[in-house]
Amino acid sequence: MVLARAGWEVTILEKGANRFSGLGRRLPGTTFSNDELKSMRNFELPDPLTEPRVFRTSDSDPSPQVGEVQSLPQTVGGGTVHWDAKTPRFWDIDFAKLSMLGPIDGAGVIDWPFDYATLAPFYEEVESLLGVAGNVSDMPAHPTLAHAPRTGHLPMPAGPGELTSLKVAAGARAMGLHPFPALMAANTRPHDGRPACNNCGFCSSYGCPILARVGALAPLTDAIRNGADLMPESLVTRLNWKGTRANGVTWVDRTGRSHTRTADAVVVSAMAFETVRLAMLSDLPDPHDLMGRYLMFHWFSAGTGIFLREKLHTYRGRSTSHVVDDFADPDYPGARAAARDAGLPYFRGGTIEIGGSQPPISEAQTYQGLLKLLAPAKPFGAEFKALMRASLLRERLAGANFIGEDLPYAANRVDLDPSVKDWRGVPVARITYGPGIHEQAAQAFYLPLLAEMMKRSGADVSLAVPRMPSARFPIASGTVPDTDHILGGMRMGDDPATSVTDGVGRHHWLDNLFVADGSLFPTSGGHNPTLTIMATVLRNTRQWA
Amino acid sequence: MGVCPGAGGAAILASVADPGPPGSGGIDRRDLLKAGGLLGLAGVLGTGVIAEVAVASRVATPSGPAGGARSYRWMALSAHEASVVEEAAARLIPGPTDDAAEAGHPGAREAGVVYYIDGLLGALTAATPKVFAGGPFSNRHGSPTDEMARFLHLTPVQHRAWAERVASLRREYAAGVAALDAAGGGDFIGAGPEQQDRILARDPGGFTTLLFGHAIEGMYSNPEYGGNRNEVGWRDIGFPGDSQPHGYKPAQVDAPGVTDPYLPVGVAAALLDLLRASSGV
Repeated sequence: MVLARAGWEVTILEKGANRFSGLGRRLPGTTFSNDELKSMRNFELPDPLTEPRVFRTSDSDPSPQVGEVQSLPQTVGGGTVHWDAKTPRFWDIDFAKLSMLGPIDGAGVIDWPFDYATLAPFYEEVESLLGVAGNVSDMPAHPTLAHAPRTGHLPMPAGPGELTSLKVAAGARAMGLHPFPALMAANTRPHDGRPACNNCGFCSSYGCPILARVGALAPLTDAIRNGADLMPESLVTRLNWKGTRANGVTWVDRTGRSHTRTADAVVVSAMAFETVRLAMLSDLPDPHDLMGRYLMFHWFSAGTGIFLREKLHTYRGRSTSHVVDDFADPDYPGARAAARDAGLPYFRGGTIEIGGSQPPISEAQTYQGLLKLLAPAKPFGAEFKALMRASLLRERLAGANFIGEDLPYAANRVDLDPSVKDWRGVPVARITYGPGIHEQAAQAFYLPLLAEMMKRSGADVSLAVPRMPSARFPIASGTVPDTDHILGGMRMGDDPATSVTDGVGRHHWLDNLFVADGSLFPTSGGHNPTLTIMATVLRNTRQWA
Repeated sequence: MGVCPGAGGAAILASVADPGPPGSGGIDRRDLLKAGGLLGLAGVLGTGVIAEVAVASRVATPSGPAGGARSYRWMALSAHEASVVEEAAARLIPGPTDDAAEAGHPGAREAGVVYYIDGLLGALTAATPKVFAGGPFSNRHGSPTDEMARFLHLTPVQHRAWAERVASLRREYAAGVAALDAAGGGDFIGAGPEQQDRILARDPGGFTTLLFGHAIEGMYSNPEYGGNRNEVGWRDIGFPGDSQPHGYKPAQVDAPGVTDPYLPVGVAAALLDLLRASSGV
């Protein structure tokens, strides 16, 4: 958007398909729909059969897993096609973590090349571009506004609260916490030619059928209207460079034919795994062995409440509608002492998205698995159907998703797998990732509080489980991360000895090669990252153009 | 319904699926995660046999969406395979004629699950592969046309993945049906409900798990995929399905819940106990 407006001749090579019609119009046509099966069949995502990734918990993991690992959409519009659209800002302490909170042994805690105040106007610009809904007056003065101060109003008011979110918010309030309507880039009134959200109930994990919730489509539309040329199903296979200059890319079209295109500057924005993979396949200079390192995902925990007395019409609404920020505060009562007990100077949880449930195919699959345990003699039949009608895990369920900050560790990284290849015979991304003491200590401290919040919401059954196994919690809800918050690997910094890209996202060793995605992040923050990715890239790009 | 990553049941699934050390009677967590049948399939490309069959038998004369008997050309299953798949799916998700407890509650047979499965196995035989239904709207909630009925093109790499997947599934179905027949003394359909249930509970070669996963998809997915006929799967569980372009008014979103007390007994009570016990707290 910025480059096209500044008069650059911009060509966007997109690996995925274009599922819009009339791209460049204010309101393109879509083929997204309320269709759970389509989502499960990876409509927008890379297919793990042809484009797998490898996941291992450490260098010595005896059984790496091959398949779907942290899939983000591979389609025109990228990750924001089916995002949850939560758009919190990061906090002041995220940008100056080393100076404000201090180092942590074993972690690569550094400051960002800029501070919160520098980014604030770019946050405001992106909030306006996307059409972020929310009520500043409902946001808690402490901790949220104290750490992420803002001026003025948001472009539109918050939407209706979802019943499940309202239930959990009541539980949070009963504990003295400060739930508030999530800032969310889903229109509550028409914005920039796009309609208001009509609460269809198929939000996160689905492309928006009516484009009331967009994301990257907003700046992409602007770019196209300013002359950018978008080429879908065009796979960049190599970043071409010589000396200290990038000179273009090699790419493959949908028929498999290879092409070369020269350029005065190259911008890589393929999400952290694929950006690192492409950089490694292109043998980009990396004298300090930093490329792919300091990978971060967020360390999720799930809260669940089950309501036996009522059904909660969980099929309506726009994703989850409320959040709780209290646990993102390193000074939450008791947190400092618990950190000290774990041998840490401090630790940090993160924000909690409260509310939400699951759709019927997912629910049914859950029962399919559970019945093998509960009724092994006949794990199907009328018992299964009775469970579906009772709907314990759909219409009686309220969830909560706790986003825990991940510290940057050098050992957590992306590299090329030595044996697994994609359908073209090219090595796939191998992800090595495990939690440190910080993540496990924070989870141990906050997990009971999360369960308490679900209980106080009025749920008859409440529980909290880690989303990933660890030494401390070997039983977890998954074995491969699926947080979709994929950060680091090409981290920014002023010092080429500790970072891959400079203060504006330019590769330290290639003058005209830029990175423009979450791989830039030096730290992960404790909030959903997309708004910060966009504001960072907007701020950086203004300095290249 | 707003599933954020981690909210709700998906998290429950595996938390209870890793119940303890080996030998404690637990099941493989990865089996559960693969319940959808879409992950972990490996195989080489192959072509299936497309069977065209005379319309006969209970299998071939279900009530279609229009409500009357009609002919159907099988895309991938043989007539015998279709019969076995329909009977087995009806044991897994029974309807009124399959289990007395399900009086008034349509099951896999009534939903046309076998047609969903045939559509999956034959997805690539259609001019436009029947993998991704179109959009943005069906004609169920205010749109004059059913755009979901127009399937979307696959990219070359998607086509490659689905060709591999479908070829693998076809082999699994052929082997699975043969295994059910063998366990039924040469004829699964003639085995009778009790023996059929015993056979299926043994999960021969993992086929029950695979078939149940697909039966669930055929029961509760959008009708454009060939199952969930007349939305009977959704109606039975009170799920309205797709809602666009009407959607819901704000006042319907924050409206109070519907009082509907549920007393868990039997399996449901055991399920809740298992959830309580699996909390990480």
